[in-house]
Amino acid sequence: MEQKKISGPTIGIPRALLYHRYGVLWTEFWNQLGARVVVSKPTDRATLDEGSALAEAEMCLSVKTYMGHVKALIGRCDYIMVPAYTSFGIRRTMCLTFQALPDVTEAIFRNSGQKFLTCSIGPGRGSAEEGMVSMAESIGYGRKAAVRAYRAAAKKAEAAYAARVKQNEALYKKDGIRVIVAAHSYVAEDAFSGGYILEMLRKMGVTVIRADLTDRKKALARSAHFSPTMKWEMSREITGGMLNHWKEADGLLLLSVYPCAPDSMVNDMIIRKMEDCGIPILTLTLDAQNGVAGAETRLESFIDIIRMKKGMRL
Amino acid sequence: MIDEQFTAEPRRRKKKVAFPVFSHYNIPIAYFVENALRAEYINQPPLTRRTMEIGAKYSPDMVCTPFKTVLGSSIEALEAGADTLIMPMGLCRLGYYGELEEQILRDLGYHFEMINMAEYTTGRALDYLKAFRGFRDRVSPVRFGQVALNTLKMAEHLDEMESEYYKNVGFETQKGAYEKAFKTLLSEMKNAGDLAAIDAAYAKCKTAFSEIPVEKDEFPLRVGILGEYFTVMDAFSNCDLEKMLADMGVEVHRWMNVTHRNIHYPGEKNLHVRISDLCSYEMGPTSTANIWCARDYAERGFDGLIHVKSAGCTPEIDIMPVLREISEQYDIPVLYLTYDTETGTAGLLTRLEAFYDMIRMRKKVV
Repeated sequence: MEQKKISGPTIGIPRALLYHRYGVLWTEFWNQLGARVVVSKPTDRATLDEGSALAEAEMCLSVKTYMGHVKALIGRCDYIMVPAYTSFGIRRTMCLTFQALPDVTEAIFRNSGQKFLTCSIGPGRGSAEEGMVSMAESIGYGRKAAVRAYRAAAKKAEAAYAARVKQNEALYKKDGIRVIVAAHSYVAEDAFSGGYILEMLRKMGVTVIRADLTDRKKALARSAHFSPTMKWEMSREITGGMLNHWKEADGLLLLSVYPCAPDSMVNDMIIRKMEDCGIPILTLTLDAQNGVAGAETRLESFIDIIRMKKGMRL
Repeated sequence: MIDEQFTAEPRRRKKKVAFPVFSHYNIPIAYFVENALRAEYINQPPLTRRTMEIGAKYSPDMVCTPFKTVLGSSIEALEAGADTLIMPMGLCRLGYYGELEEQILRDLGYHFEMINMAEYTTGRALDYLKAFRGFRDRVSPVRFGQVALNTLKMAEHLDEMESEYYKNVGFETQKGAYEKAFKTLLSEMKNAGDLAAIDAAYAKCKTAFSEIPVEKDEFPLRVGILGEYFTVMDAFSNCDLEKMLADMGVEVHRWMNVTHRNIHYPGEKNLHVRISDLCSYEMGPTSTANIWCARDYAERGFDGLIHVKSAGCTPEIDIMPVLREISEQYDIPVLYLTYDTETGTAGLLTRLEAFYDMIRMRKKVV
């Protein structure tokens, strides 16, 4: 990696929500510009507790986690970047929380004195490039340098994503029990919520394949066929990714956090349309609970059902 | 999507249309369906505990409460004889209501035709009119436009009188006088066939309201209600919050209604000017309006605000931190209410009484 001399300000990026989708792009962008990037540590119990205390009680687990990460970054950096991703076009919107995120974060941390870098990305608001460039410009970087940095970063991010997709989809060829996990990237990758569920499955000897790491274009096309008015970009990617491959898998795990707005409807639709297709489906909703025994029991019985169906020994 | 049962029938079938119950807006919608689409409008029974129960029974658990209400009310419409359901679209989860509702109803075994507005989202507002292509008896485009304008006028009149009603009903000297006049207005609007009748009913109600004797202090307690589109407007969904509050002797103000949010919406940009220090971007479909509204009430010296939302309403949960900021800035109390499928009012009444006592004490002290 080409490392420029670090002379600029320190940019904090919370390791939550869209970091798991755009992390490479964001860190690479600031690195190219010569800024120092601080990413908060993976989620642990303390992060979640701090976040839960700060966020509204009814916000979803992932947003609470996010607030915990922001809290952890305060005082450790000059700016914390909180971009708002609203939409990519018609029926390609993000959950409304991503649209409101900068303002929610600023309102929650209004008395902290922390400076935030924000932008709004979506139709009528500017492309991702314009958004990122405007953030860089607001702290004194030149437009040209920022555009160059963005394009280089976008290229790297794309390559990195393609590599991950390839790695993920190769898993469909593996022997043994293959389970597709349909979860948002920020659930599946978060160490404290989805991460340990996936780890638990791996320990049981299951090949875990993520539905969200997939060819996005193909997934969108497939989901439009499955449910024409489904409007959430990420839900569509997950649904499409899962539908393109479900025949190569032995089970489906619909993993969501409490109370996820898109999942509350999409999961119901998936179950209604797929219950007759002969593949075991488990819906698991994660909350900020302390024990993992409950989840473990459910996963074990789910895997037992798959084994039985495959005629394997329990 | 058209059900097989109906495609086999001759074209002349007169559709029996229903719309989920939503505050008093079913009256203008019925007028529109009957006069512009020339179809039959089916009135399902008003929302009750039973509506909520069947809605909740067949809905996913974590979905927002209006979905459950709408599903229950659609089932009741089908039971009342409707064969065509209209489902509006929206920018939040509402945009997916139609498809999931259709799937659930078909899984249950109901036969009907679904007109889901969300299928017609193309980026151009006029494309929504394509949803009405299936109505073969609809009137000529010019007449259609006239009826549509009359429909909006009717909604505006109803909104204006309703807002007047909640501002004054707590101070009437003869109990029930306002309610009687308002109910007369609703029944007259139901029977109105043209613009003249709509205007006449409105004028009559306005006169009736102005003649009702009112005993109001110079500075009565004023409370502003804001919140989630459906729950804040629909009296059943918010357990008749406004009437309950008004009966304690409070002037109840609510900006959020179809007139303000849809027909005469000032627009995102113009509303944002006054709240640009509180939020930098549009946070959600009704968020800008609600934040603007909260600040407006606070600046006008209201005694308290009540934020109403259904359980799980993401955009409204997201503006809560901003409302807390407003509450701090202007030293104005805000009561946050979340409504789920429960229909009991005792708990709500206790909270409202406590809120009322608190704002009354503050008014005396300050």
